[in-house]
Amino acid sequence: MGFSNRQEADKTVVEVDESRLDASLATPFRDYIFDLIGQGQKDLIVDLSKVDFMDSSGLGAIVAALKQVGGDGAIQLAGPQKSVHDLFDLTCMDKIFKIHGSVDDALSDSSKH
Amino acid sequence: MDVLIVEDARDQRKLLSAVIRRLGHTVHQAEDGVEALAVLTERSEISIVISDWMMPNMDGISLCEAIRDGRFQRYIYFILLTGKTDRDATVKGLSVGADDFLRKPVDYQELEARLKSGARVISLEQSLELKNEQLAKTLTSVESDLESAAKTQESLLAPPAVIQGVGFDWHFQPSQILGGDMFGYHALDDEHVMFYQLDVAGHGIPSALFSFTLNNLLMDMDAHTTMLREQISNPPYYKVRPSEDVVASLNQRFQTTAETMLYFTMIYGVIHTPTGKVRMTHAGHPETLWLRPADGELHPIKDTGLPVGMMPGMSWSFSELTLKKGDRLFMYSDGITECENPTGEQYGDQRLRDALYGGRQMPMKEMIDKVWSELSDWRDCNTFDDDVTYLVLEYQGG
Repeated sequence: MGFSNRQEADKTVVEVDESRLDASLATPFRDYIFDLIGQGQKDLIVDLSKVDFMDSSGLGAIVAALKQVGGDGAIQLAGPQKSVHDLFDLTCMDKIFKIHGSVDDALSDSSKH
Repeated sequence: MDVLIVEDARDQRKLLSAVIRRLGHTVHQAEDGVEALAVLTERSEISIVISDWMMPNMDGISLCEAIRDGRFQRYIYFILLTGKTDRDATVKGLSVGADDFLRKPVDYQELEARLKSGARVISLEQSLELKNEQLAKTLTSVESDLESAAKTQESLLAPPAVIQGVGFDWHFQPSQILGGDMFGYHALDDEHVMFYQLDVAGHGIPSALFSFTLNNLLMDMDAHTTMLREQISNPPYYKVRPSEDVVASLNQRFQTTAETMLYFTMIYGVIHTPTGKVRMTHAGHPETLWLRPADGELHPIKDTGLPVGMMPGMSWSFSELTLKKGDRLFMYSDGITECENPTGEQYGDQRLRDALYGGRQMPMKEMIDKVWSELSDWRDCNTFDDDVTYLVLEYQGG
């Protein structure tokens, strides 16, 4: 349960080890990411593969993180399950985030550039 | 402190009383458990009991059990007098809820120490009780505030109406913890009627207040130029703004901060009432379902865009459709499709479509009630985790 992070190449992979990213976890999750950003880790990949439900509050926390890193960082999303992917489709999250099928995809994609 | 001594041997009782009185406590006495209970009932100031084990009528163990059965509102600290270093006695005493033990013959220094520790526990219990009372009071006032906010939310909703041959009706079920759903409709001029539905992310007071603000802005019918109509230099000196521009303006005006995480999904649309032409924009909101009696079908209207307030400088697209007489638009918040049954399964798109399809021939009000009754059956519980809102528009021929 909870959140953890690890370094992969020059990126920080944030793993969300929760099945629901909803109103009850939005604030702790935002605070966790803000701490990482505060420590200077501004190139983040959020691994969502364990999340099978996200609501508007969970989405709000991810967008808050994007606002917090600002122009000198990046947040990418990886491994959304179908229901989370449907939410991303409905809300056009691909317009403001890079969304990858998995963390490996995200890492290999960025090493190409 | 007020201490009750329960002891059948008169000499012992007198002796203990004298010692405890000398330690500065007020002493009460009882000969056995039955009398002790009577004294404790009468004297609510007593908070410590020192009781012998073996007594006629009611022994120390039964007395302790009786005290712990919930008949007293206050916490009573119970010290049991035991004969020897009797392990069984200690175990039995602990199991019925004794707080402490005192061996006979009583060592008076030990007695003083045990009374002090009892007094400490009692004062902790009392401060805890006081805090609980304050919490309960605060909770009551928060709950009543939430209730009045929910009433405000309901009072802001437009009543069902027919405007220029366009019927509007809806169902609104506020969530237990106040949500951020809002909707409305009104004429922009003699041949345009606007309608909107929005859902502010999150729950509670911040979301609700934000939805009130948005409603005030969108329902301001008196202003000559608003976000909904722009001024031009030729007669009639205004132009109804296209839906995608209205959404983009709202987006410029209400940007979420990293702290508040407040943003909203919405539908904004305008219907040209003489022709039935609709232009509408979906901003991260569930699709509108277009019900057409002519072919008996449900058509989803998909022009997805970002929710409003996430990112500045974004643009939105729009859908255009022409309604025929009897066509309906069904707009809803995700509180319906994400509504969980007792086993945690979501209601989902398909069940909603099936319910609507089943009710497509019914008059608007009946269809609305049918959807609600199917959703309530699914939920099987009186409270909802999120606002459940749906707005139905029916083109009655302009």
